[in-house]
Amino acid sequence: MIRQVSIFIENHEGRLNHILKILADNKINIRSLNIADATDFGIVRLILQETEKGIEFLKKNDIITTVTPVLAAEISDDPGGLSTLVDALTQAKINIVYAYSFLPKKTDNAIIIIRVDDEVQQKAIETLEKVAEINLLDRETLLLK
Amino acid sequence: MYWNKSYECMPREKLQELQLERLKRMVNRIYHDVPFYRNKFQEKGLMPEDVKSLEDLQKLPFTTKVDLRDNYPYGLFTVPLEQIVRIHASSGTTGKPTVVGYTRNDISMWSELMARCLVAAGAGPHSVIQNAYGYGLFTGGLGVHYGAERLGASIIPISGGNTAKQIMIMQDFGSTVLTCTPSYAIYLSEVLAEAGIDPESLKIRVGIFGAEPWSENIRKDIEKKLKIKAYDIYGLSEIMGPGVAIECECQDGLHVWEDHFIPEIIDPVTLKVLPYGEQGELVITTITKEGIPILRYRTRDITTIKPEPCACGRTHLRISRLQGRTDDMLIIRGVNVFPTQIESVLLEIGEVEPHYQLVVRRDGSLDTLEIKVELSEALFSDRISNLENLEKRIRDRIQSTIGVNAKVALVEPKSLPRSEGKSQRVVDLRKI
Repeated sequence: MIRQVSIFIENHEGRLNHILKILADNKINIRSLNIADATDFGIVRLILQETEKGIEFLKKNDIITTVTPVLAAEISDDPGGLSTLVDALTQAKINIVYAYSFLPKKTDNAIIIIRVDDEVQQKAIETLEKVAEINLLDRETLLLK
Repeated sequence: MYWNKSYECMPREKLQELQLERLKRMVNRIYHDVPFYRNKFQEKGLMPEDVKSLEDLQKLPFTTKVDLRDNYPYGLFTVPLEQIVRIHASSGTTGKPTVVGYTRNDISMWSELMARCLVAAGAGPHSVIQNAYGYGLFTGGLGVHYGAERLGASIIPISGGNTAKQIMIMQDFGSTVLTCTPSYAIYLSEVLAEAGIDPESLKIRVGIFGAEPWSENIRKDIEKKLKIKAYDIYGLSEIMGPGVAIECECQDGLHVWEDHFIPEIIDPVTLKVLPYGEQGELVITTITKEGIPILRYRTRDITTIKPEPCACGRTHLRISRLQGRTDDMLIIRGVNVFPTQIESVLLEIGEVEPHYQLVVRRDGSLDTLEIKVELSEALFSDRISNLENLEKRIRDRIQSTIGVNAKVALVEPKSLPRSEGKSQRVVDLRKI
């Protein structure tokens, strides 16, 4: 299970930079970034090299954060690779709430971060573990990739 | 033209005699029938007999909106409910509305005064009155309605909103008088212009607008765009509803119907009565109302009393256009909104003291209310849809409890300005 940091920001210029600066000033490396936006606000989703430290600094600066459990799946970076993953979840009737790519440094494979509803998280793990082409990563392994 | 010349043009000495006689009777009644007033009199060591002249009114206690709330719903009624034939309510400062009740005589008096207002603005039995004030707990719709029926005009009870239908009726029914809020009148004029309808082709010649403050510039704008004469009307449910005061053809101040109400202007800080001509808070005493007579009601509206005789021949004092409020009440599309009401809704949803800011704008001609709410960690969710639902829940709750459409925007913590620890609650960007 991967601990993703979700952050609330208002949807206007300078707000994202404010958050990135807090992390940069405290030497917290961001391993992946995803932004979802609504009309007036957005949610920034980060996977940090040091999650706890990152949250601590953000909270000190009155940034609203929450930790969201997500899955990280390593798949081959070929046509059809992502489809294998989505297929498996679809057949198990598990809805993907959102997903985005993680950019690995040390492998040619693709890594996809997936958020599913809490109540089907365990089922999703079991489903994906059964698929040979998919390698579910724990936090340590992900951050080494 | 007058509806009731002998009263509207009554010589002032006679009018004041009548006021004193009615005031004495009113004071006697509330002292004996309403424990709230009896206590207030006793605290000040006063008896009804102490009212010997109109000046003695200054010694008597005030009534505030908080008093109405504390005696919610019927505590200040002087008659049993079987004598009450109608109940209206307006926004309270918290979740509970301010409730008023009318006896048959009260409705009759209100109809009479409203008929006087309609005639003062140029309406008559021949008029076709399109009444676009809201019908319901709000006094606007029914107040105008009963006055129009008393006058013998043809009233179209279309109520507020549904602009396309308003315009169709205006065209097809040949309405000659329009009654609504001034901002809605501007909106109508814009829709007419967009639809390419020449206001000259309509029969509307008079507009009677109230329930929110408006300026001389807005009047000129409405008169030009709709090709009508626009008159300001004043009222509040605590005193009666629309028709407490009206502009006559001189369009220079609103006559207060002094045979039923005594207006005073006070300094809102010292609570001392100010001489005529000085600006302060309007205080009104009802001297004929039966259901819920109100002694020295602090309206929170800022105005001046103009004592000069009016060219129209009416002898009743005029108040100038309202200049603002002494509290933080906002009037948004004719709906009274108190920041504290919004606060109670937010408190209900968030279960913590919310930091919020109300931003009122005038977009084109319509007022909009935006509620900025600082998000708390407890309410934060990683899913956009949850946050959008939260905004919607707040919006729906405000719509259902206060009756105003608001835009809700979640903002980051500590992003709203704070003064002495409390947020600056209201930003009013309207230019009135």
